[in-house]
Amino acid sequence: MSDQHLTGTTDVSETRAAQTAGWKTICDDPRVLGWGSVALVLLVWEISAYVSGVSPLYLPRPSQIVVALVTMFLTGGLATDLGVTLYRIFAGFAIALVVGTLLGVWIATSFRVRAIADMFIAALYPLPKVTLIPLLIIWLGTGGPFMLTISALGAIFPILINTVLGVRQCDPGLVLAARDLGATKQQIVRKVLIPSAIPAIFAGTRLGLGVSIILVVAAEMVVGKLGLGARLYLSGQILETEQVFAVLIVLAALGIIVTKTQDAIDIWLGRWRIT
Amino acid sequence: MTSHAVAIECRDLGLTFPGASGESTVALSGVSCSFLPGKVTAIIGPSGCGKSTLLQIVRGFLDPSRGHLSFAKLEGGAAAQRPAMSTVWQAFNLFPWLTVVENVAFGLELAGVPKGEREERARKAIAAVDLRGFERKYPRQLSGGMRQRVGIARALVMKPDVLLLDEPFGALDAQTRLVLQEQLARLVEQSGTTAILVTHSIEEAILLADAILVMSARPGRIVATIDVDLPKPRNHGTTHDPQFAKLFEQIYGLLRDEVMVAMVNESGGA
Repeated sequence: MSDQHLTGTTDVSETRAAQTAGWKTICDDPRVLGWGSVALVLLVWEISAYVSGVSPLYLPRPSQIVVALVTMFLTGGLATDLGVTLYRIFAGFAIALVVGTLLGVWIATSFRVRAIADMFIAALYPLPKVTLIPLLIIWLGTGGPFMLTISALGAIFPILINTVLGVRQCDPGLVLAARDLGATKQQIVRKVLIPSAIPAIFAGTRLGLGVSIILVVAAEMVVGKLGLGARLYLSGQILETEQVFAVLIVLAALGIIVTKTQDAIDIWLGRWRIT
Repeated sequence: MTSHAVAIECRDLGLTFPGASGESTVALSGVSCSFLPGKVTAIIGPSGCGKSTLLQIVRGFLDPSRGHLSFAKLEGGAAAQRPAMSTVWQAFNLFPWLTVVENVAFGLELAGVPKGEREERARKAIAAVDLRGFERKYPRQLSGGMRQRVGIARALVMKPDVLLLDEPFGALDAQTRLVLQEQLARLVEQSGTTAILVTHSIEEAILLADAILVMSARPGRIVATIDVDLPKPRNHGTTHDPQFAKLFEQIYGLLRDEVMVAMVNESGGA
């Protein structure tokens, strides 16, 4: 408290802060703020939809959506759709992670490979990957290979580009120190360049996984018979608005889980950066 | 311990860097010197004189444009190959994602020493630099002086024939430097290794070295070789020795003019 006294700007705000200290600590908890505001929005939504009597065709109430969600999970096969979509996202992402990292290290460590790859990356990276869907369908059909390809294509560029940056930003002093301790070229790559690039590689996987999710769901909306995207599209076609919202909730929940998991991994990876 | 010791002979070393605009930079010119087995030799000179370049040539990271290096085992026979060398760096160059013990064991790991043995050797080396209890810390959690002690342990654990010290205390504050100089003097003495110390500090050179090579401003040449006969172990008290003052004056006298030349060079006057 003495610290607060030293740094406090005005006496008035300080007394007020002291009086409402308990309330303030609750309000300053990011989790309370985050979840509290979500709950508040849902409550306002529920009440206003109920009071105004708007048709559930346009705006179903949250309680109706929850009922639809539970029903879809229990009897409507939504779990299967979720499983299929997750498989497509993560299998494609895993391919992108392995290929992107290896290719990135190769590009970063070889002047010639970098010169060649530069043009291809410049051409392909800014291209919206959804525009490749028609071509990929012609080549691969609409089955598993198509889905894995589109998912991997979405993730590979952010991973590759970040790997190149991360490896190239490695402190040359560390490479020199490793050479001094007897490292071979291969050991330098494995034990110095890649570890030093891991924070950057992980930043790339964060972006890449996001793009993979977008692309897989979009592709499912175009061609899928299974998967969350297909389910979303079909529900919309038959004006089952509750089901549309239910799928959106599943997608939003997926987003939250992915983001929070990445945050946790980020902290774990960065433990040596904490002073 | 002296079986480790190796003598290095540099004959007429020269190094010229080709410049971008056709004009080349002469970094070293006609450097002849020897590093005696089991002794500490300091290289001192104005900034940019090529001291670190000379060290890189000895290490084998840079090839001289002319002249050559030879290595000889103490027993007299010429060494067939480059002796084992380890460097202590001014910027520490510790691997930030590895703990202290992993950093110290890094070279042993590269050499394929089994995990149990390398950890044990690393722990001993860490204890020798008074860092017991910090084995599981990451470099960022340590002070500058502690980081450099990790750097020293990492180099010494390799049991090098030649220890290269590239301005090892240049990044540290004055007090930390004093303590580490004494500690390093003791460790080098115990290991019996041949050591080459590149430094800006006349005091550091006298405290640690058996011989001091004074270099000229660029292009670097050896202008004098000065033997230091002060009794060992030396510590901060040694600086009050009248002979210390005499050596200091002598080296400063040699360096003063070279530093002036280097300053003119650096300001673009040459």
